[in-house]
Amino acid sequence: MDGADLGDSALKATIANMLEVLGWEIELAAARSIYLDSIVGRMMTLIPDDRKAEFMEGMHTVDLLSQQLTGLSAFTQRMSGDVPDVNAYVHTALDRISLGALADRMSVALGGLEKGLNDGEGAGDLDLF
Amino acid sequence: MLEGRGQKVMVVDNDRTVLELLQIRLEVVGYHAQIQRTGGQALDLLKHTRPAAMILDAGLTDTDAFELLHTIRHRHDDQNFPILMTGRGLTVDDVRRALGYGAQNCMVKPYSGSEAVERIGRLIEAAHRGSQHSIELSRPQAVA
Repeated sequence: MDGADLGDSALKATIANMLEVLGWEIELAAARSIYLDSIVGRMMTLIPDDRKAEFMEGMHTVDLLSQQLTGLSAFTQRMSGDVPDVNAYVHTALDRISLGALADRMSVALGGLEKGLNDGEGAGDLDLF
Repeated sequence: MLEGRGQKVMVVDNDRTVLELLQIRLEVVGYHAQIQRTGGQALDLLKHTRPAAMILDAGLTDTDAFELLHTIRHRHDDQNFPILMTGRGLTVDDVRRALGYGAQNCMVKPYSGSEAVERIGRLIEAAHRGSQHSIELSRPQAVA
């Protein structure tokens, strides 16, 4: 269903706000990836030296992922300050997010009501509206 | 690597995403993050703990963050830890007000988590240098 069909009850946000919210979520993903990197780093100390080479590529991939997400977050946050003041319906796109906590956080940040879901619950399909 | 050495950093922000990302960023480098979503919770916690620093967001919904800052500085004489005030669209007047109420630094949202952690690290270091400096200055007087 098109957001415009839902009238005033549909959640609307400015493109700037949307980009900023997206930027924060990418920043959180980057932080989680950095945490993962630190865990993998600690686990590497438990692996015998003669087998470490097998895991080095994986370690570099995690590091690359952190850098990629940090870069995307910086780009998105910067762009949020450079877009025209235009509104868009966001509820249909939020419905596509299957992780409940993520959808809830983004919905609240975009002006919707909080459901208080955390990352341990709400994974899977969620009807937010 | 663990520059935080278990020091407590209180983060007061309404936004769950910001709280979690700062918690992770702080804890990865060795700080102990105390995350609070409301000004009321932060004040309650401050009755029992003294953090090494605080990141306080101006956009709290339950409390005027500037009033909270003022309260922390005036109600708790021992709470002289550095405070980094953050906020979306902070104006020059907001920054002046925050600094006047006792914040040490301000940072406009959106910011990167690494930038926030670096700035907190510098503020804590500066606070430690300041206290060491005052101890060194007071020693000769005490001896005399």
